[in-house]
Amino acid sequence: MSVEYRHATKRFAGQDRPAVHDLSLEVEAGEICVLVGPSGCGKTTAMRMVNRMVEITEGDILIGGTSVRDREPAHLRRGIGYVIQQIGLFPHRTVADNIATVPALVGWDRDRVERRVGELLELIGLAPETRDRYPSQLSGGQQQRVGVARALAADPPLMLMDEPFGAIDPINRERLQNEFLRLQANIRKTVLFVTHDIDEAIKMGDRIAIMKQGGVLAQYATPAELLMTPADDFVEDFVGADRALKRLALLRVADVDLWEAPLAYVGQATEEVRAKLEGAEVPHALLVDPERRPLGWLSDRDLARETVPAIPDSSPDPRVELDDVLRDALSDLLQAESLYAPVVDAQGRLAGVLSVEVISDFLTSPAAEVEEHPAAERPLGHHE
Amino acid sequence: MPDVFLTGFLGTFGDAIDFIFTPQTTRFQTEKVGGIDQVLELGGEHVKVTFLALGAAILIALPAGVLLGHYRRGEMVALTLGNAGRGIPELAVIALAAAFLGFGLENVVAALMILGIPPILTNAYVGVAQVDRTAVEAARGVGMRDLEVIGKVELPLAVPTIMSGVRTGAINIVATAAIAPLAGTLTLGDFIISRNVYGDAGVLAGAILIALLAIAIELGLAGLQYLLTPRGLKLSRSLSAA
Amino acid sequence: MNSSAIAPLLAQVELRDRSDTNCVQDNGTFCLDWAVDNYERYVDPTLEHIVLVIVSVVLGFLIAMGLAVLSHRRRWLIPTFTGLTGVIYTIPSISLFLLLLPFTGRGNDTAVIALTLYTLQIIYRNIVTGLNNVPPEARDAGRGMGMTDNQLLRRVEFPLATPEIVAGLRIATVSTVAIATLAVFAGGSGLGAEMYRSLDFKTGLLITTGLTVIMAIAFDLCLSLFQRFLAPWQAPAPRERRARLAALTRRPADA
Repeated sequence: MSVEYRHATKRFAGQDRPAVHDLSLEVEAGEICVLVGPSGCGKTTAMRMVNRMVEITEGDILIGGTSVRDREPAHLRRGIGYVIQQIGLFPHRTVADNIATVPALVGWDRDRVERRVGELLELIGLAPETRDRYPSQLSGGQQQRVGVARALAADPPLMLMDEPFGAIDPINRERLQNEFLRLQANIRKTVLFVTHDIDEAIKMGDRIAIMKQGGVLAQYATPAELLMTPADDFVEDFVGADRALKRLALLRVADVDLWEAPLAYVGQATEEVRAKLEGAEVPHALLVDPERRPLGWLSDRDLARETVPAIPDSSPDPRVELDDVLRDALSDLLQAESLYAPVVDAQGRLAGVLSVEVISDFLTSPAAEVEEHPAAERPLGHHE
Repeated sequence: MPDVFLTGFLGTFGDAIDFIFTPQTTRFQTEKVGGIDQVLELGGEHVKVTFLALGAAILIALPAGVLLGHYRRGEMVALTLGNAGRGIPELAVIALAAAFLGFGLENVVAALMILGIPPILTNAYVGVAQVDRTAVEAARGVGMRDLEVIGKVELPLAVPTIMSGVRTGAINIVATAAIAPLAGTLTLGDFIISRNVYGDAGVLAGAILIALLAIAIELGLAGLQYLLTPRGLKLSRSLSAA
Repeated sequence: MNSSAIAPLLAQVELRDRSDTNCVQDNGTFCLDWAVDNYERYVDPTLEHIVLVIVSVVLGFLIAMGLAVLSHRRRWLIPTFTGLTGVIYTIPSISLFLLLLPFTGRGNDTAVIALTLYTLQIIYRNIVTGLNNVPPEARDAGRGMGMTDNQLLRRVEFPLATPEIVAGLRIATVSTVAIATLAVFAGGSGLGAEMYRSLDFKTGLLITTGLTVIMAIAFDLCLSLFQRFLAPWQAPAPRERRARLAALTRRPADA
């Protein structure tokens, strides 16, 4: 279900400047579009115009090609998932009754509602006995999971999420973000997601709409585009001086060119190894086992022997995986004060060597093009 | 029908108004009753017992409530007393006072005072206890002693709530003073209770006069509350209301 | 009034033993034997009193609910309604009873009307406060999920306002038990009439007073249990106490 803003404008009574000014953008079905910007930029207003919690002053918004203005507000809203920062669970209803809000409104029968509640509790990873608890008996993170489940209850194709994780502590926020992305990989909803946090926007968005004061759209682009080529000073400022670094968060180790290191095996004559070192990309030899699992780096002292020893002077750590987020891999390298890290696949076999130089090249050349992943397929980071 | 009703209605109330201003002969008595002189006499007595009782109630309940609120102890006391205050049957208070204490002004005042205490104490407690903690902390922080904290911070901030309690108490008392004649103190309520002396016009006149007196006292105390409320508090109220 | 009120009592106790008769004749503090022998005479007044209270509070609740629904989406009506109900509330109950007489005549009808009018202020104010205290995010979420105004009111706002509403009902009921004793001045029945008849008889006064007080406590208890049943979701004590204290301390003009 696509969403299209067509010159949508919102003017609140008694205010000179519009809250949202002539907004035009299109969100494709199954995409997460993040509306981001400083407070007062109209991002929440823009989102709330979609389900007519805020009435459109001029222009139009189409959902799946139909104008929201032609829909009766209550009916329109029942077909759109709605998650807000304050969560807004009904304190007088159990978890199950909260989740069943929209199904009850549209008149599902009891069995179907019961089944759906069970499904959703499982989907959001809450124990079945939670269903009869009241919201006040849940932690903040659990409450927000229930909030998401409630929005998904009637399986709406479109979700509106207004700073859904804004009130959650940073550690749980990351967990919830990752959970939602995993969920999205399966359910593929069209999502309008509001946040003021550019990092969250980059992490969650397939596309990002950056808005500035006066409800003006500053740029609408994919996260990588946004980071590489900010449209103006405002966007450049907003994405931050570390925008190059942020791009690394969008990529896996597998997405960059890996180098090759001269390989050595236990018992091999050191002379052969020394010969391989001449003119190699990586100026150090890596000791691997017969399955090509890295055992360690060979030092000059190791290579001064006749044969390659079984236990080299330096460990192979930091070791990174192909699926690791590039930013995390860089951070591992910097922390170990190492220029190179062996990269292994899921079975622990060597796939190449990540060098700080490759990453720094990538950072300094704005043109460095890599294929972008949809948010739901992006690396989630191993710091979870 | 409506005409008859209206005439009857106007007639009854007209009689009551006449009763207030000019002495009337009734079918029960040979001498004339009512009239402005008697109204003023009974009204004066009504006002007198009301203010004596209200004063006594304030003297007892205000310090108690303020102290409880200051130490934030006694929420249950305030709640129970407040509730009980609503539950005391006025008729019983006067009747019990008359039966067990006997007739007399002191006894009536004591009985009426009992009706004034609960709302004043409860409101004083709530008013002081709900004063913003940070304001109290700040007051202590600049070196105020308990009495100074109460006098300079808590009491001024609690004025609206305390005065609400005083008004409720005053209304209770002025209303109950209407049945004080049952305990031998002749107030405006005498017109009501001694129906066989004053007739229906007198009863209605009494009801009107007591209602007017209550409203006058309510308005007077509301005015007093306005004067006593610190300016800053009034400003912030009107701002938050806007 | 004095001796004539006692006469029927004396007639009844003449056949009793001497000490009992003495107690009644001397108007002793509390004549237990007399009370035991004569409890039946208080059954009907008590029942009448209960009916008077329940009918008035239920009527008051229904009217206040109607006013609250009316003013909920038309906020400008709230000061009007609070003001109107407040003026009624300021009129001493005894005056209100008597002022109604020319319209409704002596009897229980007048008593019910006056008592109902009297409950309006407390109940209405508490419903409004309860609705105002509904967390805005619950309202936003409900609307955002497609509830109509009515659905929002029925499914979210009223249930969440229960603590305040019940707090108001409790005060209104307790007050009505007490005020209903004054219905005797409007020709109403109930414990007030019985109390009035016993003005010179201490035992009778204590019994009627005791019955009113017990009735008030019993009503209060029932309503607090009712609230626990209606609002099982909340840790009751603090918010409920706060709601009741708030309801107790407000005045009509505090709007």
